[in-house]
Amino acid sequence: MERAAIVFHLGPLAITATVLTTWGIMLLLGFAAWLSTRRLSLDPGPLQTLLEGIVSAMDDAIRAMLPQRSQMLLPFIGTLWVYVLVANLTGLIPGLSSPTASLSVTAGLALLVFLSVHWYGIRSEGFIGYIKHYLRPSPILLPFHLISEVSRTVALAVRLFGNVMSLEMAALLVLLVAGLLVPVPLLMLHVIEAVVQAYIFGVLALVYISGAMQSQQTVSDSDQEGSS
Amino acid sequence: MEVDWTTFALEIINFLILVWILKRFFYHPVLDVIARRRAGIEKEMADAKAVEEKARVLEQQYENRLADWEKERDGARARLAEEIAREREHLMAGVNAAIEAERERNRVLDERHRLELRRTAEEQALAQGAAFTARLMSRLADEGLDGRIVESVVADLQRLTLEQKRTLAVAAAEAGATVRVATARALRDDARKALCGALTEALQRTLPEEFVIDENLIGGVRVTIGPWVLHANLGDDLQFFAGGARRAL
Repeated sequence: MERAAIVFHLGPLAITATVLTTWGIMLLLGFAAWLSTRRLSLDPGPLQTLLEGIVSAMDDAIRAMLPQRSQMLLPFIGTLWVYVLVANLTGLIPGLSSPTASLSVTAGLALLVFLSVHWYGIRSEGFIGYIKHYLRPSPILLPFHLISEVSRTVALAVRLFGNVMSLEMAALLVLLVAGLLVPVPLLMLHVIEAVVQAYIFGVLALVYISGAMQSQQTVSDSDQEGSS
Repeated sequence: MEVDWTTFALEIINFLILVWILKRFFYHPVLDVIARRRAGIEKEMADAKAVEEKARVLEQQYENRLADWEKERDGARARLAEEIAREREHLMAGVNAAIEAERERNRVLDERHRLELRRTAEEQALAQGAAFTARLMSRLADEGLDGRIVESVVADLQRLTLEQKRTLAVAAAEAGATVRVATARALRDDARKALCGALTEALQRTLPEEFVIDENLIGGVRVTIGPWVLHANLGDDLQFFAGGARRAL
């Protein structure tokens, strides 16, 4: 993979096309959010019904795993779903490349998930209680816990990057070899893959976070089962 | 495949900004309107439940009122039936009493009518018997019977007590007093003399004597001395017996 093209410099910062695309996506999503939620009413129209359906679906998915914490996690997990989906689909627009086809982006997202797991875990269980779960069921497993934390974060970043990048690459190769309309089925597969990868990324983040938030509860439950 | 750290850092910042933007302009407004709608629905549900509960209470009150009304109606109907039965019994008793009184009155009237008929029949029988007896005795009576009756009258006058004779004397002493002798036929001279003699002796004086014929006497004599009358004839006896029998009825 070649190095990302620098579009311009903003002081010491080199702004790449990926960052520009991300800003575009942010502007698009922010404007769409503002535009669509300006005139919400208790008697919803079709667009409001769609928006409420999207938000309710995300809230229900989070509530299925963490019934008491959906309001707290919805902004982070929901934004992951929305951003990764839009970023994945951006590659379908000619002249643009998916931000998620950049390892820098997926690594940044994976790092955010990694940090959010600890953030929400500590908020939920307290610092000591959260740290203790690395020592359970045995302190011997601490290295494996640490390796798991790192490996799953890396896997999260590489999985999304690899899938999106490979799809774009395959589409490019087919386009170069076969002609103009032949890559269309591959582009349809790109849509499906974009949705699936976005869902997987968000659900994995949710699973990791819920695992951290429920670690103490899981230990308590296992202790109760053992005593009974 | 290498990481551009500037892009890496900017992506993290961009994503956090996007989280804030979407939280501010998307999630919160949509969740808020959903929550408001849910609250409205819950309020409407609560109102509907309150109305339902109120309706249930009203229904219960209506059913209770209906049950009370039916109970009251049954009670009133039972009282009415009882009152009707009592009134009917009272009226029936009155009717029975009236019937019984009417029956008793009819019975008394019948009895009285029957007695009246019987009395009338007996009176007629007595009248017919008296008439028959009078006709029979008129055929049997003759001067001989008159003579025997005069003899018995004379004998009776001779057997009067002093008290009876004094009474006769008082009657004969009145002014204008006469002796009136009625017979069915003319007496023989000896019988007339014997009777006059006995009367003079009984009255202790001699009064004017008058002899008259009265065929109704059938046989015998009727002697009238002032207010005093001596019935010694069949006709007066028959009337006396018939009158006694009539009074006895």
